[in-house]
Amino acid sequence: MMKAKDIMTTEVVTVSGSATIAEAVKLMKEKGLRALIVERRNDDDPYGMVTETDIIYKVAAHGKDPKEMRVYQIMTKPCIVVNPELGVEYVARLFANSRIRRAPVIEGKLLGIVSISDILNKSDFIDKPKRIYIEDEIEAAREDARATCEQKGPTSRECAAAWDAVEELQAEAADRRSAKV
Amino acid sequence: MMKAKEIMTKDVATIIGSATVAEAARLMKEKGLRALVVERRSDNDPYGMVTETDIIYKVAAYGKDPKEMRVYEIMSKPCIVVNPELGVEYVARLFANSRIRRAPVIEGSLLGMISISDILNKSDFVEKPKSNFEIYCEEFPDALEARIYD
Repeated sequence: MMKAKDIMTTEVVTVSGSATIAEAVKLMKEKGLRALIVERRNDDDPYGMVTETDIIYKVAAHGKDPKEMRVYQIMTKPCIVVNPELGVEYVARLFANSRIRRAPVIEGKLLGIVSISDILNKSDFIDKPKRIYIEDEIEAAREDARATCEQKGPTSRECAAAWDAVEELQAEAADRRSAKV
Repeated sequence: MMKAKEIMTKDVATIIGSATVAEAARLMKEKGLRALVVERRSDNDPYGMVTETDIIYKVAAYGKDPKEMRVYEIMSKPCIVVNPELGVEYVARLFANSRIRRAPVIEGSLLGMISISDILNKSDFVEKPKSNFEIYCEEFPDALEARIYD
């Protein structure tokens, strides 16, 4: 499985929480970025993030003056962060469940940012879609097969088909394990 | 006030609803786009849209095979569309209120696509922020409130 660190964008720009929105916009335009990481005030401080969505939704949409508003007024802090070793499919699931589109990649320090664009453009989910809970699926299929065989008889066609389904899932899981090595 | 048509992206790609998600993803990668407009089936059919968020949230997150899923299963249709004459501040407000980030710009036909990135990068909201009152005065220059400083 590809990992967050394999597809993340390593070019990251930080901004101070006390900077004005106008400064943040200038920085984003210059660097062509959709989000900035908000610098921590000390090592115990959580990471924060300010995105173009924050700026448009909370400043532009209300006609507020970006030169008079500060990053800390609209940022998300603490923000959800991702471990560099997290599989890309888990990143996608985390993003979908928490309705976010990007997150800083952190391990000890800031390593990069991973976004839905990175997943779309750099991951292998199209060529190799991966069901992340396949072990759970196998267990469920096994239980189903046992129930079917008990109900329809151990020599029934339904019973054989149910166990075929289990084998198919197991083959896929085994395939993936061998690919990892 | 700047208008949607002044900052929209005119480079738009369309796709049919029955295309596979893999085809949509390939088109997006090739053209460097974050969304595609879904073609209408007739003149009475509404416009639709499929975005990278749809693909990641609904396909990649569940390990479904993009080659076996179709655009119509994950698209937003009908989608919110924007009139080319709509002021940029109103576009921003519409997006914030409806929690969307992009919309096709339509008048008779598909003219372009407008996104929060277009607003950030091409509009003048930093140089000339406009409050509701200022927008109102701009629209109705003869109103009593607008003439108060005459």
